[in-house]
Amino acid sequence: MKNLNLGRLKILLAQNGIFLAMIIVALIFGAINPRFLSAGNLLTILQQIAELGVLSFPVAFVVMMGCADMSVGSVASLAAVLGGTVMVRTNSIAFGIIAALLFGFVAGLINGVLVAYMRLNTFVVTLGFLSVWGGLAMFMTNGATVTKLPMPFLMFGSTKVIGIPVQIIILAVVIAAAWYLLNRMAKGKEILAIGGNQRAAYLMGLNVKRTQMLVLAFSGLFAGLTGVLLTAKLGAASPSVGSGLELQALTVVLLGGIAFEGGSGRISGVLAGLLFVGVLQNGLVILGVSAYLKTVFTGAVLVIAVMLDKSIQNIIKSAWKDVIAHKPGDAAQPAQETKEAVTDSEGSAATAESSADSPAAVGTSADLPGSSLPAAAVNK
Amino acid sequence: MEERTRKMTGRFQMDSVVVDFGVNRAIDHVTMDIQPGEIVGLLGHNGAGKSTILNLASGAIRWTAGSVRIDGQEIANGSTPRDFSQAGVAVIHQEPSLIHSLSVFDNMCLGHRFSASMTNGRKRELVSSALADLGIDVGIDSPAGTLTIGQRQMVDLARSTMSSSVRVLLLDEPTAALGAAETEELHALIRKFASEGTSVIYVSHRLPDILDICGRIIVLNTGRMIMDSPASSLSLQDLSNALAPGLKKTAKVAPEHIGAPVLDIRMAHGEVHAAKGEVIGLFGMASGEQFSLAADLFGLGSPQERDEASFTLADKEYAPANPVAAIRNGVFYVPPDRDVEGLIADFPAKTNILMPWYRKLGSSWHVSGNFGEDMYRQCREDLQIIGPDGETPIGQFSGGNRQKHLLARWMMPAKADVLVMAQPTQGVDIGAKDDIVRAVRRKAGEGACILVASSETDEIVSMCDRAYVILGDRVLEYTGDDLNDENLLQGLLSLAHIRSGGKPASTPDSVSAGAVVNAASR
Repeated sequence: MKNLNLGRLKILLAQNGIFLAMIIVALIFGAINPRFLSAGNLLTILQQIAELGVLSFPVAFVVMMGCADMSVGSVASLAAVLGGTVMVRTNSIAFGIIAALLFGFVAGLINGVLVAYMRLNTFVVTLGFLSVWGGLAMFMTNGATVTKLPMPFLMFGSTKVIGIPVQIIILAVVIAAAWYLLNRMAKGKEILAIGGNQRAAYLMGLNVKRTQMLVLAFSGLFAGLTGVLLTAKLGAASPSVGSGLELQALTVVLLGGIAFEGGSGRISGVLAGLLFVGVLQNGLVILGVSAYLKTVFTGAVLVIAVMLDKSIQNIIKSAWKDVIAHKPGDAAQPAQETKEAVTDSEGSAATAESSADSPAAVGTSADLPGSSLPAAAVNK
Repeated sequence: MEERTRKMTGRFQMDSVVVDFGVNRAIDHVTMDIQPGEIVGLLGHNGAGKSTILNLASGAIRWTAGSVRIDGQEIANGSTPRDFSQAGVAVIHQEPSLIHSLSVFDNMCLGHRFSASMTNGRKRELVSSALADLGIDVGIDSPAGTLTIGQRQMVDLARSTMSSSVRVLLLDEPTAALGAAETEELHALIRKFASEGTSVIYVSHRLPDILDICGRIIVLNTGRMIMDSPASSLSLQDLSNALAPGLKKTAKVAPEHIGAPVLDIRMAHGEVHAAKGEVIGLFGMASGEQFSLAADLFGLGSPQERDEASFTLADKEYAPANPVAAIRNGVFYVPPDRDVEGLIADFPAKTNILMPWYRKLGSSWHVSGNFGEDMYRQCREDLQIIGPDGETPIGQFSGGNRQKHLLARWMMPAKADVLVMAQPTQGVDIGAKDDIVRAVRRKAGEGACILVASSETDEIVSMCDRAYVILGDRVLEYTGDDLNDENLLQGLLSLAHIRSGGKPASTPDSVSAGAVVNAASR
């Protein structure tokens, strides 16, 4: 393979654009204020985003599956005050943590059952529970923060293992687990398949409903864990500790190049999205930008990212065509493809039109308007 | 001179029209001249160009060369659907384009330019009278989603009659989702339009419908017109010959290779039997019962529907609740629409084949990075798949190679006891078709029982040992030399006659049902 494959390179670049953007932004901050790039500050950035990261990866799987989970912020809040209250009442750290995690899992399970088995809209259901759990957290504590948590638990928040804050280690474990799930387990591929084409996934014999329920349940469980971690870090359980987290997690996921429609996604992308948010927020603080403007920048970056994503997808599509066209040793292939396109182009004029500029007729099926659906007749 | 007078009288005229899609010619110098009041049936295989003609006659696409006239008035190339509608073209689609959540009244008003001063009451009067003119009896305030498909088609049509008088009526598979009674109503309405001078172009897979109503029949083949003659002068034989693409029959399996019976399907008026090593055809109408049977075998139909047919698999009652249960029983299913129901466009080609098998052939807990490499290579070899490598998204492959991937998923990695395929060679070119037929035959040779559900005779004839014609709950069986395009079509017609109560056929050469049943019995 002498010739450098330009198409593949383009695809690689397009897929990792957010990494590049993150590095560029970091360098800019570093140029303005060298302190930004110090080892100490980089570790601080990681520590600042650890809890958000623990939440973002499960949420990433939810989005890959074609669902949404808007309830995680409130689940984290209620898990925090619930765990905190149990700890104070029973004086048992273990009971407190178990209560928080159990609640998170159950809250996620409720989302899962409603979405998968009752076929309710995932956005609406989870938005509803965002209010329900958030309100309950406030009601439970009358809006007050739960304090006087057991000392060992508070110590845990600032524990370091070989010099690395424990939150970062937990984040690393979550990332590794997420990577393994997505790339080395059948379930990970099934989650993507459901997001990519739910009907096709069902017809492959995949258990679509159970998978949806489980992924949403785990999203809740990790929201519970996030609540516990935040409580430990802050030293108290605030009923608003998780507020806004759901949007931040979604921002990370979308920045990470995961399409909102589901069906695609890479762990490295989510990690890059997470680091980008971390770098941006930390950098703005170091530059002395008002804390209120932090969210303004984050939101603007998200919109820009989504705008770019559209052109990135187009770049990837056309790059695949380059890859196909320049594939060495397949000289006979274009002729064959053209021949097939004759029969292929009839059903829908729109397809034919869209492929008119490329003789290879490689318009993706997703672009097809469902002109005639024999499928509808089969499963009437 | 004669040429000129024809141009004067024709209501809808296409003169040497060519449509190219990229390098592919979808319509090749088609010339037709349709008189006022004429009902023309447009027949042809998938890919023959029927839809393209309807699309260009309704303004959905542009043409490459030639001209289109309505009442002698040339329509500019690039005119929008709205322009065509103003010129008097109305279209009835298989799936009417109404917005289900809006009321009939709101749907009718959409895209209609009322004068600004018109009162709401006056608008309602207009809508009501447009509906009444077509004899449609629906409440104008009921949501469109509550109507039957037939009613929605009518409302859709009334929408176009409201803005202009219908001079050309295009019908695209209008009866595919209609019952017998609704089909009758629709045909009556079409006749009424024709009697008032409307030219009708009727596209359908349903030969009986075409024969029932059309006075003239045009047959297309790969974009060219190969037949244009009055229906009364056509025999079934002529039609069958025109529609049969002359694909060569493949060598059938020798009887000694046929193994133990494995699947029985029982319906009210007929049975289907299939054994290991056999390729069995299930032939019927477009979106006919053969497809619902195929889906039921994979556990897709609702339980009530399944009562109409009961299955026995390897001597046991078989009523799968869902695809998971069907796969566990060794029954696999290739859905009819590869892109909507089969493949995941953005997934790598390799993953699209391996997706159902990671858990079953590998492990839930650890799937190695190179899992299935060999399997995928084997698939490509067996089905002669060409194109980019397996990491490329499947959407980037051509239609034929996408279809081959879908088939490979269910044919190669795991061994099926019963493999049900719906339209396995739909929309693929002859070369790919041959590859698929050979792979299917090979799989049968290895002992799989294969069912092919289709509404295209050549698909059945080219790969099956035996075939059943299915309409409603009636079944005819064909085997050996009796299994050919003509017999299948005639069998379907004869079943249609039985269903419609032995109504006289509209072609002179119609066959009596009894004769076909006799010929078909073993």
